[in-house]
Amino acid sequence: MTMQSGEAREEMAPATAEPGPLMVVQALSKHFGGLVANREIDFDVPRNSIVSIIGPNGAGKTTFFNQLTGFYEPTSGSITFDGVDIAGLAPNDVAKLGIGRTYQNIRLFKEMTVLANVMVGRHVRLRSQWFQALLHLPSVKREEEETTQRARELLDLVGLRRRYEDELARNLPYGDQRRLEIARALASDPKLLLLDEPTAGMNPGETAQMTQFISRLRVELGIAILLIEHDMKVVMGVSERITVLDHGERIAEGTPEEIRTNPLVIEAYLGKQATV
Amino acid sequence: MSDRLKPVDPRRILKRAAGLGAIAGLAGVYLSVVGIVERFETRNVVTGVAPLGLLTVAIAILVAAYVAARPPRNWGMTEPARGHKFMASLLTGAAAGLVLVLFLLAVGALDLRDIFPNTTPGLVRILSLGIEGPAGWAALMALCLSLGAVAGALHQLRPRDRQPLIAAMAAVLLMSLMEPFLNNVFLQLRQNALASFIYQRSGLTIPAAVIVFLVVLAVSAFQTYRGAATRRRVAALPENTRRSATYVALFLVGLLLLVLPHLMGVFLSEVVGTVGLYILMGLGLNIVVGYAGLLDLGYVAFFAVGAYATALLTSPVSSLGLGMDFWMALPIVIIVAAITGIIIGAPVLRLRGDYLAIVTLGFGEIVRILLLSDALRPIFGGAQGILAIPPPVVGDLRLAGPINLYYPILAFVVLGAFVAWTLANSRIGRAWNAMREDEEVAAATGINTTNYKLLAFAIGAVFGCVAGAFFAVKIGIVFPQRLDLLVSITVLSLIILGGMGSIRGVILGAFVLVGLPELLREFAEYRLLIYGGVLVAMMLLRPEGLLPNRSRQRELHDDDDSAEVQYQRRVGTETGAPAISAP
Repeated sequence: MTMQSGEAREEMAPATAEPGPLMVVQALSKHFGGLVANREIDFDVPRNSIVSIIGPNGAGKTTFFNQLTGFYEPTSGSITFDGVDIAGLAPNDVAKLGIGRTYQNIRLFKEMTVLANVMVGRHVRLRSQWFQALLHLPSVKREEEETTQRARELLDLVGLRRRYEDELARNLPYGDQRRLEIARALASDPKLLLLDEPTAGMNPGETAQMTQFISRLRVELGIAILLIEHDMKVVMGVSERITVLDHGERIAEGTPEEIRTNPLVIEAYLGKQATV
Repeated sequence: MSDRLKPVDPRRILKRAAGLGAIAGLAGVYLSVVGIVERFETRNVVTGVAPLGLLTVAIAILVAAYVAARPPRNWGMTEPARGHKFMASLLTGAAAGLVLVLFLLAVGALDLRDIFPNTTPGLVRILSLGIEGPAGWAALMALCLSLGAVAGALHQLRPRDRQPLIAAMAAVLLMSLMEPFLNNVFLQLRQNALASFIYQRSGLTIPAAVIVFLVVLAVSAFQTYRGAATRRRVAALPENTRRSATYVALFLVGLLLLVLPHLMGVFLSEVVGTVGLYILMGLGLNIVVGYAGLLDLGYVAFFAVGAYATALLTSPVSSLGLGMDFWMALPIVIIVAAITGIIIGAPVLRLRGDYLAIVTLGFGEIVRILLLSDALRPIFGGAQGILAIPPPVVGDLRLAGPINLYYPILAFVVLGAFVAWTLANSRIGRAWNAMREDEEVAAATGINTTNYKLLAFAIGAVFGCVAGAFFAVKIGIVFPQRLDLLVSITVLSLIILGGMGSIRGVILGAFVLVGLPELLREFAEYRLLIYGGVLVAMMLLRPEGLLPNRSRQRELHDDDDSAEVQYQRRVGTETGAPAISAP
């Protein structure tokens, strides 16, 4: 971590009391050897908003995501989430603070049941320790029952009907696996939900349903949602603000309307000729 | 998927049958060359009818011929006609017979005894059924053909008729293999007359064989024909009745477990005690490998630490010379165990799969070599080990000898099974499973993978160490030779055999892999050969283990169809995507 980011952290701390943005990213860079995957990216997520990061394949979107969730340690820059600097924290600590995520190529616990997948998602909100579990205390039993209950509610919320719950996750059709992943992420009661290409591999009908569902989640759960997409059409409808990455740099930021007409964005997506 | 099966292709099935027959024949050659056929010539399955030696070859051919008649499921073919099935079985027998006859010719023409010391004239005599010259070859061929015919005939029956027959044949074989064990029990119970009615000259008598066959046939047939109806009737009983029936059954099992050592006598109690130690280790390693997915090949390290820690603390002649009471020492051993688990676990936290296996394998060896080393001889006693470990004392009773030691071991096995079960069904077990499935995602879901790995290692280590502690007091002396890689392999094998992640599986696996070899001492020479064969067969036929946990069984057998198809079948076809659209 550089000096600069240390200063930034101190400045941010008082500024992120309740009304401020949920997440503030400043000058975030990630280098892999000589390759610069993210260069000095500034970015923020207001509370209860839906924001998106778009960019062509290889623009550095997933690298950016992986830094937010603790998978990668940033080379420099700061990430402040709800008043806490999370840059370089371990993934499990980030999850505990209230960030849930899904994956571009679905990563469920395939050989566990649908219900167990969601219950694992609830892990960080559970208190019982191994010695309590060993003694089979009533508090443990109660907690397990509550967890099961909550997991079922979430399955209902994402539209996986209850009778799937004992099914192995890997046996679900593709679209249902995506839903299950979202249910698992929601189980930790996140303040911010990161969705990595949630409509990848879906047909237009399913895509429309999914975008509708994302809007509904924000309203019903009051959480903020950060979407990553390379398909511009998907994010235009749902996001309030869009950040565009290309070659690891932020090339534009604004409302969907601004982004649609931004020549830099059009160039990044369609090549130079299209800008004329 | 049944609508998409290809029509059967008899030529392909016959080709496979010939291949299988040749393999069975080679298996027979192998059994002859390693000496099994001749060695067990005098050991009878049914006295005067079936000597065990030749029967091993016969069974190989029978199994091959039975398998040959049915195309493997992944060929996606319809069932062959009965005639084709019979032909396939017969062809298998013929191919096996051909290989065996060629072997006889080779043994007769060339003297192979320099290379294969077991290819004696005695072997030739056995294989040619005691008949000299070409007539003997014909006899061998006829035997193989008739074995093929028997397998083919079995396929002519309906499956529900076939299964009881196979079960009854297997029961006769098993009953005769258990002869040393059962004889011992009968003598213990002073039932000499019964023993000599059932067993004569190390084999079942003909009347006894017939009775066993008929009884098992009847029971098995009842189960196939009426089993479902009976189960339905039981399920229809009121909840309370069923629960009290369960309690009564548990009580009876408990009672049986309590009187068991007095029924079994010293030798068998000793065997069961050893099995108990392996169950404890299996339960512990099952937490590490089965639940948390950390392949640990050095589990013997914990067993050794437990045994040596107990020895050091309790033996008056150890380097510490404390002479502590066993029950005082045990908590200390458990704490040492947990710390050892963490010490061994910490450096391998970042390793997975094969790498983890290799490093833990190394740890196991390091512990053994340290115990054996000259440098540490003043502490651990080098190759001599530590002597004079006193037995545990409860009140005035010294728990010496297998019969007395059976009880504390039983208590710890019950406790261990409870601990394993309760952890597996808690938040902890879920976190372990998630880690096994995908470590990165588990971390992103908020699971502290470091802590959970260390917890798995520590708990696994405690199980191993408790087993080691009882091992030390059981034999009264510890030394490094008994603490080698084979212990780790046995524990891992019994988990695989019983079924990864399954507690019942561990118990069954320990009895099969540790108990049976003790009872079947007469096969001790071929123990590792049988071990290997059993494990290979298991991996091919039932990779999920004998008593798998439910999800794992599904996982391995869903491959027969595509996952999607299975899912559609179970859930029905209405798997649309209605609910995501907002209400």
